[in-house]
Amino acid sequence: MTPQRVLRAALIFVALVAMHYFVRPLMGWRVSMDFLVIAMLLVAVRVRPGVAAVVGFVLGLIGDSLAPESFGAGALAMCLVGFSASWLKAVFFSDNVFLHAIFFFAGKWAFDVIFVVAARRGGMYEMATQVVLWSPLAAALTAVTGVIVLLLFRGMLEAPST
Amino acid sequence: MARAARSGSRADTALVSTCALLALLATVLPLPIRDAIASSLRRTVVAPLLALQQRAERARTAFGGHDVLAARLDSLALRNAQLGDLADENVRLRGLLSLGRQLQWGFLPAEALHGRGMGDEHVLVLTRGSEAGVTPRSAVVAPAGLIGQVTTVDPRSSLAILWTHPDFRASAMASDGTAFGIVRPHLGEEPERSLLELRGVAFRDALTPGTLILTSGLGGVYPRGIPIGVVMGEVTTSEVWSRTYLVRPAVYPPDVNNVMILSPERVSSGAMDEVWSSVARADSAARGVAASADSLARLAAMAAAHRARQMDSLRAVLGLPDPADSLRADSVASTGGSAPTATQRRDSTRRVP
Repeated sequence: MTPQRVLRAALIFVALVAMHYFVRPLMGWRVSMDFLVIAMLLVAVRVRPGVAAVVGFVLGLIGDSLAPESFGAGALAMCLVGFSASWLKAVFFSDNVFLHAIFFFAGKWAFDVIFVVAARRGGMYEMATQVVLWSPLAAALTAVTGVIVLLLFRGMLEAPST
Repeated sequence: MARAARSGSRADTALVSTCALLALLATVLPLPIRDAIASSLRRTVVAPLLALQQRAERARTAFGGHDVLAARLDSLALRNAQLGDLADENVRLRGLLSLGRQLQWGFLPAEALHGRGMGDEHVLVLTRGSEAGVTPRSAVVAPAGLIGQVTTVDPRSSLAILWTHPDFRASAMASDGTAFGIVRPHLGEEPERSLLELRGVAFRDALTPGTLILTSGLGGVYPRGIPIGVVMGEVTTSEVWSRTYLVRPAVYPPDVNNVMILSPERVSSGAMDEVWSSVARADSAARGVAASADSLARLAAMAAAHRARQMDSLRAVLGLPDPADSLRADSVASTGGSAPTATQRRDSTRRVP
């Protein structure tokens, strides 16, 4: 990647993080897209797995800072998802929109599952409801949003050479 | 090449292991330590994001409340527009109540429905009829003066001709009793059609403009002392031995919605000079009381505003904070990073997975 493309990708990354804290509260939906996961996955396919894990860890800490009760759970989930995504980039980052959607969906759902287990919030029933009902819906919305972001910034986010 | 790949893979594994361990460690830290770390993050790296989130929350709240605010504003504007009508109606009803108190007996209150068609512009439909005791030729009056006369009576309603009707006649006199005549509508062109004429005044009895004209009580239909109008000036006619005066009516029919129908017994009981003069006095007294109450309220509001200004100046001089500002959420949020957990909604501070 050229420095210009790195800069553009960084700008999109920052914009996605900002959108996470602006668009979601603005909509106020019960199920909402996760721009942090989208940003992390877009970075993960462009860097080494170790770096993706660090980026995920930092992003997770940022998210956790607003929820001290589950502090660390987001960092752990994001770190593992980022690392895994970086390993799987060769499989998913082909030029197929459907595969992109599955990639975002799986990333978000995996994040939620790890987060819920690590945070241990509520009883088994609540955790199961979250993982089985709400998380897939949020993952689907995140997948749609991620694909839209990719299509909008296709020129700036060219697929990395593997 | 293979060695480089292996070392890179080891580095990746080491990094992810370290991060995962740190994250796991964070989840089992005591709550005060987690709070402290989270607080330091909120004060530094996350502060701009937190501000962004707060603005988004406010924008959503404002957007959600916009329709409610617009509806309230519309209601207020409508109520404000209706205030003038309410005030007028209040004055009319107050006058009617005052008239009822002065008359004491022998009257029937009724609603007056105005004719809207061709030919019935000089007729009123009254909502009381023979069942309520209304009889033909009863006088119809308002707090300001004479309106007309009942002509047709049905069981539950009746018709009355207004003083604008061409057949209307009333025996009248000057308020000092020096001149007598017959009042009838002035059948001129449109602007003057809403005036009355006092005809048949003896040539020797000159009236000055502004003289109040009352019913004289002659004829037995209208009792003595009901205001009819005020003399505007003399009109030149072909009659040589009598004078005719233009009279500005005391009551304009379109303004009348509620009236009193006087019973024949009340009419025959005597003069009513005192009734309308008392009504006028009571009305002016009521207006005076209302105006005084308004003035007092205005003065109280001005005094409160003055006190508030003085307190503001004092605070500015002494450098004291405004108590209203110090309680605002903005101030609380801006005074420290650890405050948001107490001042923000739980779901806005917690990251929903």
